[in-house]
Amino acid sequence: MTDVYTTDIALEVRELSRTFGVRKALNKVSFDLPDGAFLSVFGPNGAGKTTLIKVLTTVTVPSKGTARVCGLDVVEDAVELREKIGLISHNPLLYPDLSAEENLQFFAEMYGVSDVSDRVRELLVSVELDHRRMDLVRTFSRGMLQRLSIARALLHRPDMLFLDEPYSGLDPHAMDILDGLIAQVRHDHTFVMISHDLDKGLELCSHALILAKGKVVLFDSKENIDPDEFKATYRSTVGMGVA
Amino acid sequence: MAAGTQARPSARSLSWRQFKAILRKDIVMELRTKEMVTSMGLYSLLTMVVYQIALSQSGSAFDPRQIAAGLLWLAFLFTSMLGLNRSLVHEQDQGCLEALLLAPVDRPVIFFAKAIGNLVFLLIVEVLTIPVFAFLFLQGGGYGGAWWMIPTVLTAGSIGIAGVGTLLATMSVNTNGKDFVLTVLMVPLMYPLLLAAVSATTAAVLGGDGSVDQFWAGMGGVAGYDVIMLLAAYALYEFVIGA
Repeated sequence: MTDVYTTDIALEVRELSRTFGVRKALNKVSFDLPDGAFLSVFGPNGAGKTTLIKVLTTVTVPSKGTARVCGLDVVEDAVELREKIGLISHNPLLYPDLSAEENLQFFAEMYGVSDVSDRVRELLVSVELDHRRMDLVRTFSRGMLQRLSIARALLHRPDMLFLDEPYSGLDPHAMDILDGLIAQVRHDHTFVMISHDLDKGLELCSHALILAKGKVVLFDSKENIDPDEFKATYRSTVGMGVA
Repeated sequence: MAAGTQARPSARSLSWRQFKAILRKDIVMELRTKEMVTSMGLYSLLTMVVYQIALSQSGSAFDPRQIAAGLLWLAFLFTSMLGLNRSLVHEQDQGCLEALLLAPVDRPVIFFAKAIGNLVFLLIVEVLTIPVFAFLFLQGGGYGGAWWMIPTVLTAGSIGIAGVGTLLATMSVNTNGKDFVLTVLMVPLMYPLLLAAVSATTAAVLGGDGSVDQFWAGMGGVAGYDVIMLLAAYALYEFVIGA
């Protein structure tokens, strides 16, 4: 896949820390990510990966440090920033007792999308769920949920997409569909993806980050990374324990 | 397509759209599942029956109308706790609360939409309960006040329960013992409201000289509580939901 990132900075993280009681989930994390890049974030369980995503998506406020996403501060400009980002998680983030169409219509209203009906129909077609648009989400398979989750994340035409273990629990066919959907929007979005799958994460990324105990162990662009050394570095963090 | 390319609605019109979307979603889901109203309605009606059994041996000299208002408000308070927890637990299913927090919505909009939804469901349960209450407790001496007194105090009291209850349910939803936490927080905070509402409702039930003055004195307490606590809930909600 051709990398399309520019010299503009999409993500600027400076000395970012987040504590829960005495536990430091993030400890002085700093890095810059160019616009259009695809960052894969790796690390053992409890390394602070999900906390990093939660801070960058404004769901959680940082304890110290700053982060700017798409040029907007995650604390000061949180409401404006939310219009520019989308999240695809291993959790579908959808209401099980609403239909696929009702879910997308609801989130379209929440984001102030101007052409709700057209946009919802367009996305349902693109994720191949148009024929199931009236069915309750609780009747969907894991792969269908993930496809609808992608449609939800793209509703408001975000500039940056955060993916929190999006391949978790998907069968190979559903993974192929997700690959295709990511490829469709890859050229005009910046991505940050959490993954436990080193091969998949390295295949997709333009930049890679390893977190362990809330700290940055490695951050570099893909062309500077030797896959074998990278995997060895990652494995050395697995025994480091929880942040 | 980037987020900035679509026409953005004004902040006020977007908030109104978001408010309507959350309220409509809650009502549609409740109409579909009937979880909250069914469980709250059954609980409230059974409570009335239990009260009646408890008072069945009190003798003919005892006028149950003297304590009927207190029994009614206790039933509504405990009934509301059942529904309040469920309304937030729905949001937690499959990470929906996180999806809501990711949207560019002012947190007080979420508060007011959830509180109005809870108020509607509580009022429905009250409308179902009042005839049973009248049948069981007002047969002896009858209803002494003007017809409009009961709907007025029930609506005003329910606004306080729904408003404060929504705030407290949001605080407790991420705790381990959410039912216990909600009860422990809610009962002491509801004390002033219950005192005023029971006074106004007793005046409405008993009627007679001075009952209108006692009713309006009680209503003053209920209205004052509603205003103060709703303003406090409005101010605190952003902090509470982001914690």
